[in-house]
Order: sequence, then structure tokens, then C-alpha cells
Amino acid sequence: MTKSTFSSSDAAAPSASPVSRRTVLKTLAAGTAGALAAPYIRPAYAAPAQLRALMWEVYAVPDIVGAFEEKHKIKFSPTFFDGNSEAYNKLRIGGTRDFDLVQADGFWPGLYFREKLIRDIDYAKIPNTANVYPVFKPDRFKLLTDEASGKHFGVTWCWGSYGTTYNAGEVPKEKVQTIEVLFDPAFSGRLATSARFEENIALTGILAATRLGTKDKPRPDGKSFNPYVLTDEELAEVEKLLIQQKPLLLTRYQDNTTLQQLLESGAIVAAPEFAQVYRVLVQKKDKGEISADFSHQLVPKEGGLGWVDTWLVTTGVTDPATLDICHDFMNTFLAPENIKKISLIAGSSATVDLRSISTPEEQKLYLMDRTEELSSMYMFDQPSSTEKWERVWSRVQAA
Amino acid sequence: MKPRVAPAIFLGIPTVFLVGLFVLPLLSMLVLSVWRTENYHIIRDFSFHNYEVLATEGAYITFLVRSLVMASAVSLICTLLAWPIAYGITLYGGRYKLLFSLAFAVPFLTGEVLRIIALQGLLGPLGLLNGVLLSLGAAPLRVIMYTNVASAIGLVYLYLPIVVTVIYLSLLNFDQRLIDAATIFGASPARAFFEVTWPLNLFGTLIGFALCFIPCLSATLAPRFLGGPNGTLYGMAMAQQFGESGTWALGAAMGVVLFAVSVLLVVGVARLIDLRRTGFTGFGRG
Repeated sequence: MTKSTFSSSDAAAPSASPVSRRTVLKTLAAGTAGALAAPYIRPAYAAPAQLRALMWEVYAVPDIVGAFEEKHKIKFSPTFFDGNSEAYNKLRIGGTRDFDLVQADGFWPGLYFREKLIRDIDYAKIPNTANVYPVFKPDRFKLLTDEASGKHFGVTWCWGSYGTTYNAGEVPKEKVQTIEVLFDPAFSGRLATSARFEENIALTGILAATRLGTKDKPRPDGKSFNPYVLTDEELAEVEKLLIQQKPLLLTRYQDNTTLQQLLESGAIVAAPEFAQVYRVLVQKKDKGEISADFSHQLVPKEGGLGWVDTWLVTTGVTDPATLDICHDFMNTFLAPENIKKISLIAGSSATVDLRSISTPEEQKLYLMDRTEELSSMYMFDQPSSTEKWERVWSRVQAA
Repeated sequence: MKPRVAPAIFLGIPTVFLVGLFVLPLLSMLVLSVWRTENYHIIRDFSFHNYEVLATEGAYITFLVRSLVMASAVSLICTLLAWPIAYGITLYGGRYKLLFSLAFAVPFLTGEVLRIIALQGLLGPLGLLNGVLLSLGAAPLRVIMYTNVASAIGLVYLYLPIVVTVIYLSLLNFDQRLIDAATIFGASPARAFFEVTWPLNLFGTLIGFALCFIPCLSATLAPRFLGGPNGTLYGMAMAQQFGESGTWALGAAMGVVLFAVSVLLVVGVARLIDLRRTGFTGFGRG
């Protein structure tokens, strides 16, 4: 038996080298290593199991996310943040490995890109970007394009201003057309502003530069006026104005619900906000739930602040399959029927033209015919020196 | 060997815990405080600039003074309220003593943010108090709407249960027969209280005071949601450095200063008071 077996083997593989114990051990070791590493090694085009997003909670609309999960057989895992600085800190401490997508507004996408926290995006892979209003296209909206390389790194999807919502029965329209209304002693104790220090300083910066007559004069940096790049003289004026404003304020609101209550109850008559509370109040009025009339001044005559929310892809996304999923997620998000749903839930104006699928009331409420006004606004930006701005804000709070 | 293993485990675990979760973070704060930030970037240049800013910039001194005043007032109010409550439970609680003291812990079943927001609703323009006043045709009470008074109410609401519990536990361990002895020897109830009950429960009272005072010193939520434009306290200003302004190094220096102030206050009180006469039993029998 033994002999015949040997013979047969030799006959079948006459040139094969004998299998040594070392070869067997090597094979076993390689197999074991392969088996252990398999879950962590993803073939180049394998579909990812999940899509991880760092985002504002209000925009995670369950049925849109659910449909996307179903389509791609993928788990959408959102992590929510309160503000850009929180998201920035998360990304800086290794978050690019933990998140595929991130949301940001204003200057933050540019900062992320310069710090290599996010990667460039090909708009051709996101066909719905073609539906955004002209004012949000890269040739006019420059905040999502790297000046040096010309690469695009963000997708816009909603926008707003930091205009003034006011009780039309209490505040005359001509008064609210200027930022001065927020400093008017006639409304003492019946005003509120947001607790965000950047917007308080920047909005007051517009007023300060207007009063000082420096807004339209040549700037030290050779660029046009930007309320986030104020001179020391303008910052000193801002500080003075904000201190004068303090006795006129009932509070600095922390959230939209509080602001809504303050306006609804008549405790305050005007406050700058992102028009989200205004929309809630108008809808309540239409349903007969409140009697007061509320209006919103989008841009004051001195100039106003505007913001655009964006989706970004982190530099942790290097695998083409995950990048494709990211592109499709952003495309799904921008689909007219989806962005309308998100817009209505969040109370934000969409950057996509939704007029054909919206009622006249929705078009008016969501400022669909007023997107061009964005070009007259100063975009949320990074303060020229957060340290200087922090000192100004602290002095105002302590005064 | 055996007798040495138990102390090593029982002291070793807390030591590792404290070193890992308290000493190391504190040291990292200390290191961060001598660096600086520049537009959301940490610059690792060693200097005491942040401490100079805190010592010379009036705003931060104002925040600290405001916080010290607020913490003192709130702790005093909590102690004054907690004593009769705890004493009442001890004297008249009967078999429901434990139930009464636990009832004070019920608010802890919800989060601090939730409690503060609920209070904001209660004290706010549409809240219960002002709602009743408005429905009666009266003007709303502006003093409780976004003021330091509102912050103080919020902090008392947050920390009163802790002070009550600590004083109650102190009274629970106090030998009531000492009062009987004092009265038998002719002391009036008031004298028995001030010469026996109060001094022998002073240590528990001080612990309750400190457990209210120290968190009040760094309070963030109550001044943020209830305090209004003039209500910024030190903890809230410190939180701002780690939030939107991104001036983390200055925030770290503020944290170190707060820690130092808290330690100095505790040490100061401990030195001023003879612990042996306060009901403190931690010195052992020797």
C-alpha cells in the first residue's frame, strides 16, 4: 500500500519539490494572518458597511436617511455637534478617520481644507449641484473653492441671513431697516440678541464702521470691507456700542425655542436671528395660534450677515467606493423633493431652486425669490483675531 | 504577604483612578495654560502670558468676583434652608426619614440641563409665575427673568438637595442624647442647639457648604440659561474659551486659577476652624 501510494504520487507530480515542515508552517502562518486581518482589509471597490457623518441634528431627517440606507444597504451613522468649533476640534484630534462626511458653514470649510481635514470634491459626480441658484455656483460663491489650486471642496444646500425678526405691531418698518434698531432706547428691555459672540461683534462691526465712516474707505488689508476683519479702532467702537446695548437687552438667547417664546409672549419685540423662528411664528399666525404679526428684515441698509451650510468630505475618505457613496449621499440630500423636506423641517432656505414644487406661500416664506440678496451680505467668516475678539466680548460681558 | 495585598489593592485602585482621571488631566491643563492660541491653533511657546491677561484684564477678575459672591450667597442660602429641613426630617421624620431624604434626590433622576431649562420655562415670560401675574393683569416680574437673581434661584434649586443630604447624614450620626443631657443640666433648647447640636455638626455643615460652593464657583449652565446679559460668571466665561472662541490656552489658565482658588478657600477654612471641635472624627482615636 505504502509503496503503491508513493508511486502514484510520484507519477502525478514528478517535478514537485517535497513539502517541508517550514513550508507548512509558513503557509499556516500566512493563512492565519490573512484570516485575522481580513475584516480590516477592504478590497479597493468593496462597498463600505457604513457612512459616518458629523452634522447638525436637525438635518438628519429619518425617512431620507432610511431610504438612502435601503438603497445602498449601508448604515448611516451620524454624530451630532452644536457648533463648528466642536466639529473642528473633533476633526483635528483624528476625526478624519472617524467621519466620512462633515457639515460646516461660513469660513470653516476653507479652514478645514487648508488644514487638510477635508478633501476636494468633483461636482460632476453630484449632478444635483447643477440645480443650485446661480448665486451659489462656484463662479460667484467663492468660499468653497481653494484660491491656489482652484479645487472645490464643499456642496451648499441651505442658506440664511442674520436678519431681524420683529413684531410688526410694535416696531415700525422704517426703524427695523437699520441695525440701529438693536441699539434703540425706545425698545429698552424688549430686545434680545443671540449668545454667539462672532455674530454680535460682526453685526455691530458693520454699524461701527458705518458710523465711523470707514466701511467704504480703503482697508488696511487692501480688500473690501469685511465685518470679520475689523481694525482696532472699529473694535473699540464695537465694544462701546455693545456695552451701551446691554441695558436694552432682556437676554442673549441660547436657542430658537427660547427666542420663539420671548417673541410670542411679547417680552421682546425684535431680535436678530436666522429667520427660522420667524418662519415658525408666521406658520403659527396662519393657523390662528397667535395673534401678533411678525416680519423679518433680511438685510439692513448698512449691510447684513449671511451664511451657507455645506456638506464636506473628510480626507479620511480615500477609498473610491466610500467616496462614491459620499457623492451619492450629497446628491440624494440635494434632490429637490428631499431638500424641500429638510428645508421645511429645519426652517432653512434651500440653495436648490424649489420654486416649481413649492406653493407661493412657501416661496415667500423660504425667500425663494430673494437668493440674490445673499450676494449683498457679508458671509460668516473667521474673526481676524479670535483672541482680540474674545477680549472684546469678555469686556462687554463683564461691563 | 497577605495583609500587604489588601491595602495595595484598596489604595492602589483609587490612586490609579485619581492619577489617571484627575492628576494627569490637571497636569495637561497646566501645560496648555503656558502655551498660547492663535486663531484656533495652539502655539507651543512657553510663557505666562495667559496668567498676565487674567491678572490684568478687569473682565476676568470681574467674572471671578461675581462667581465668588454668587457661590457664597447660594451656599449660604442653601445651608440656611437645608438645616431646618434636615433637622425636621431627623426629629419628625419617624420611620419615613429615609424616604424624605431620598425625596430630595428625585430631581437628580433627570439631567442638569433638563432641570435648568425647566426652570427657565418656569421663571421666563411664559412661565408659571409670570403667566399667573399676566393673567391677573399685573406686570411680569422682570427680576426673575434673565437676571443674577434667576441664576441664584437656579443654583439653589440645583444644589439644595446635596446640602440637605449631607447635613441630614451628619445629624443622623449625631448622638441626640447629648441634647437631653444639656437640657437636663438646665440648658434652654436654643442654648442646647447653639452649644451642642450646631458645633458638633459643624463639620457636616461645612462639607455641605463646600459641596455647594465649589460647583457654584464653576457654574456654567445656570448663568448661561438664566443669567441674562449681566449674568456671565467665571465658569461660563471659561467654557466659552473652550467653545466658540477657541482660546483654549486662556481657558486652561482660567481652570488652573479656579482650581487654585478652590483649594486655597478649602485650606483657609480648614485652618480657621478647629476640626476637632466640629464633630469631625477623621483624626482617629489618638
